[in-house]
Amino acid sequence: MAVHRVARTEDIPENTHLIVEVDNRSIGVYNVKGQYYAIHNRCPHQGAELCKGTRCGTTLDSEVYQFIYGRDQEIVRCPWHGWEFDIKTGRSLFNEKIRTRSYPVLVEDGFIGIVLAH
Amino acid sequence: MTEAQEKLTIIDCDVHPQLRSGADLLPYLDEPWRSQAARAGLPGAGLPYASPIGNKRKDADPPSGLPVGSDPAYMLEHYVLPFQVEYALLCSDSIIGVSGFADADYAAAVCKAYNDYQIAEWLPRSDRFKGYLCVATQDPYQAAAEIDRVGPHPDIVGVSVTGGSRMPYGQRFFHPIYEACQRHGLPLVIHPGAEGGGIFNPPTAAGYVSNYLQWHTCLPQTFMAHLVSFVCEGVFEKYPGFRVVLCEGGVAWLPPLLWRLDKNFKALRASTPWLKRMPSEYVRDHCFLTTQPIEEPDQPRHLDAMFEMFDAENMLLFSSDYPHWDFDDPTRILTRLSPEKKRKVFRDNARQLFGLV
Ligand code: FES
Repeated sequence: MAVHRVARTEDIPENTHLIVEVDNRSIGVYNVKGQYYAIHNRCPHQGAELCKGTRCGTTLDSEVYQFIYGRDQEIVRCPWHGWEFDIKTGRSLFNEKIRTRSYPVLVEDGFIGIVLAH
Repeated sequence: MTEAQEKLTIIDCDVHPQLRSGADLLPYLDEPWRSQAARAGLPGAGLPYASPIGNKRKDADPPSGLPVGSDPAYMLEHYVLPFQVEYALLCSDSIIGVSGFADADYAAAVCKAYNDYQIAEWLPRSDRFKGYLCVATQDPYQAAAEIDRVGPHPDIVGVSVTGGSRMPYGQRFFHPIYEACQRHGLPLVIHPGAEGGGIFNPPTAAGYVSNYLQWHTCLPQTFMAHLVSFVCEGVFEKYPGFRVVLCEGGVAWLPPLLWRLDKNFKALRASTPWLKRMPSEYVRDHCFLTTQPIEEPDQPRHLDAMFEMFDAENMLLFSSDYPHWDFDDPTRILTRLSPEKKRKVFRDNARQLFGLV
């Protein structure tokens, strides 16, 4: 296990993200309402650079003909075919078994570290 | 016939009784419609296509001289008994286009008359006859009231409408019908016959094809649109006990449509947040298809392959379409199914769905 410091906390203000290169892996580091999350910058569908996709919210579970918007800024939509992923877990919204990898993040001394298992 | 075939009784989910003439309904029609029908005839589909070979078998004329399909005794003798049909589920043919008529109240009155006629003149003629009640879709509230009125009859096992429509069937306009179907545990049976007729939309998305050959071939288009609509509008979430039978619209188109629907859902699910499962899962659990006219590819194994692509053994219901021109003989189709699957498709699936014990 190794912690890779990839940015200072002030480099990724709330509701922004950064794409970083660690160990030959492209990883998106997101600040969601003050919490940091890291996901693999690769869509499990056809391999697009997922973290170049739009950040958004989505419609929540609802009754028929009801639209409840929520989870704003917690979702990234793949730039290619629009699949939605939960930034906090890397899971797609249509099937939680379909996911991109998500990495633990450690914040220490003002640095954001990504934890990679070796 | 092999021994296994001899023993297999069947449930035929699409058998067509005919009126001898529209006058058959007059005694059952309420005024003022009775007088109107006596003068002007029953509202017809106005289907803009005619089959060059007619739509009936040419060897099914009752010896009584009555029109094809209009003699219950001969239907039993000619088809039901010799083919070991345990139940023949009667699906109106004569008024199939009634929902294409612009006058909602007249159409509702004709359905009411038809339902009473069927209950009085067909269903008591044999224990083997069960029937679908007819509703007119112009006014879903009247349709629901008719389901409440007739649905509890012990020999009524479903509610039939035609595929022709002014809008896709999943839309909320129609929901009172589905609520009533669910209330009475009656599946909705969608049967072709009037697509493109009367006030309905054209029978294909490209418009009016030129002849019956093209019209009949393209019928699955309409069914596809209704099916996608049912699922995406959340009808099966809203009415979890509701079931749909896609009757006589073909079978082999289903798997690729569901692939397409599931694929699109992965990206576009936010537009239907009420769906809790993949679209194809709702179809598997809520929808059935009747077999006739079964596709006949040059290589029969290609149809076997299609059946592997969806839950065919649990979703297919045998139908013959007797006495129409495109009749399927139960002893000659689907001969490649295993005995166990055959039992399901030819009988047990329908038994369960329609509560026939
Ligand atoms: S590559 Fe991401 S949705 Fe297709």
